[in-house]
Order: sequence, then structure tokens, then C-alpha cells
Amino acid sequence: MGKTVLIVDDSNTMRKIVARSLRQAGIDFDSILEAADGQEALDVLHANQVDVVLSDINMPNMTGLEFLKAKSEDDAIKDIPVIMISTETGADIIDEAKSYGAKGAIKKPFTPDLINETLGPLL
Amino acid sequence: MKYVQDIAAATKEIFSTMIMLEVSAGESFSRTNSKLEDSVSGIVGLAGDIKGMLAIHLPKKTALAVTTAFLGMDVEDVDEDVCDAIGELANMLGGSLKAAIDPGGSKVQLSMPSAIHGQEYTIDCLADAELITVPFTFDNHTFMVELQISQS
Repeated sequence: MGKTVLIVDDSNTMRKIVARSLRQAGIDFDSILEAADGQEALDVLHANQVDVVLSDINMPNMTGLEFLKAKSEDDAIKDIPVIMISTETGADIIDEAKSYGAKGAIKKPFTPDLINETLGPLL
Repeated sequence: MKYVQDIAAATKEIFSTMIMLEVSAGESFSRTNSKLEDSVSGIVGLAGDIKGMLAIHLPKKTALAVTTAFLGMDVEDVDEDVCDAIGELANMLGGSLKAAIDPGGSKVQLSMPSAIHGQEYTIDCLADAELITVPFTFDNHTFMVELQISQS
């Protein structure tokens, strides 16, 4: 069965750019799902078989950190790996993200190579 | 002027990496005329011990060219995609410059990005803020990146 990625970002532009970068990185997903905030992401994870999540941090309604915390407390979805993609990758924020189970972080702007390097080991 | 090099480096990196456009920085200045005409501006607010805002101002035709290159699809007028793309540019610039303004990461919080556009509008400066404007060019296009900061 092919792999599915969920891209979480309130910016439609960034969701398109991340999807394009995955293709440029040579990472071939059968399905790319999208969510505009953390709550939508939780809903998508419950409704679909997702292999990996790429999530922004600074989002309205439910931030990336709130999403990670809620996901970490939900047995049905807590083991799905998440990589953070954000303009803010300060040590405090990344430490907090990792405490909720994030597997890594990519700083915007990013290259397809950086996406491949960070995401590759999880697939 | 402080932060000029940081603005130039961050802008060049973002345009080169994400939009595949090589931009050149010009001589920095302090913009005194707050009126912008037929433009699109992306803005991120800075709050905390250091207050201010980071903005990118592009003439409409430049905003359309940048969005077309950013998204890899033609855009012919300022719409939701253009505002979202220019807002996201401001967001990335804010994130990059935050590292220079606040190396420890605890003194500045960034707002969600926003974008405005119109035939004529003004963006006022904070009364006691330092204002740094850096012009950029690529092909036949020009735009400005502007940082206003005020230490509490």
C-alpha cells in the first residue's frame, strides 16, 4: 500500500510549496492530504491512514504545539511521526515540540534536499 | 545601519531557495513617505521586549510576478493566492530576522502574517521606532523590505 503524508499549514501557498518540495526531493507519496490547522489535522488523522505529518507551528485555532500535545494524548494516532516545518525553530520551541513527540524540525526557507534528509529516515 | 545585512541576507536566501529568484539589495534608507500606491504588502508584527513590524512592499506587477514564480502557476490579478503568498514571505522574513534581533528567542513574539493591497494606502510607523528600509531588484522589478523596531 502506498504512503500518505499530511501537510498542516494555515497558508495554502506553503502547503503547495511543501508538496512541490516533496516531489522535487524524489519522495513519492501516493496521497498528499492537507489541513489548515491543528484541529483539522487531528480530524484528518482519525479519518485516514497517514504515514507521516509535516506541520507548521504558528497557526490559528490550534497551533502546531497544541496539535502535537493533543495527538500525543490520543492512543489511536500518537505513534504517527511528525516533522515540524516553521519559520520559528528556536531551541525552546523545538524542545517543547520534541517533548510531545515531534521527530524533527525544518526551518523555512527550506530546500528539497533538507526535506529529504529529515523525512527520509522516517519512511 | 544595524540589521541591514541581516535583511539583505534573509531576503536573498528566501527568494533564492523558495522562489528561485536571485535578488540584489540596494542602498538602505528610512522611508519617510508612508503612502504606498498600487501595491501589495505582507506584514508580521513583533511583540514583547522588542516591538515593531517587518513588512515587504511590492508593486502589484512585482507581487504577481513573485507569486507566479512562488506557486509555479500564472496569477493575473491580486487575489487570495497572492495575499497568502506575500503574507507567507513576510512570515519567513520575520522568522529569519527574529534570529538576528532576538538571538535568545525569548524577547520577541511574531504575530500571524497578514497582507494588504490597494490603489493607495499608508502603513504608519511607530512613533519611537527605528526604521530600516532595504530596496531590492530582480529583472525589471523592485520591492522593499522594511523593519521597524522599538526597544521597550
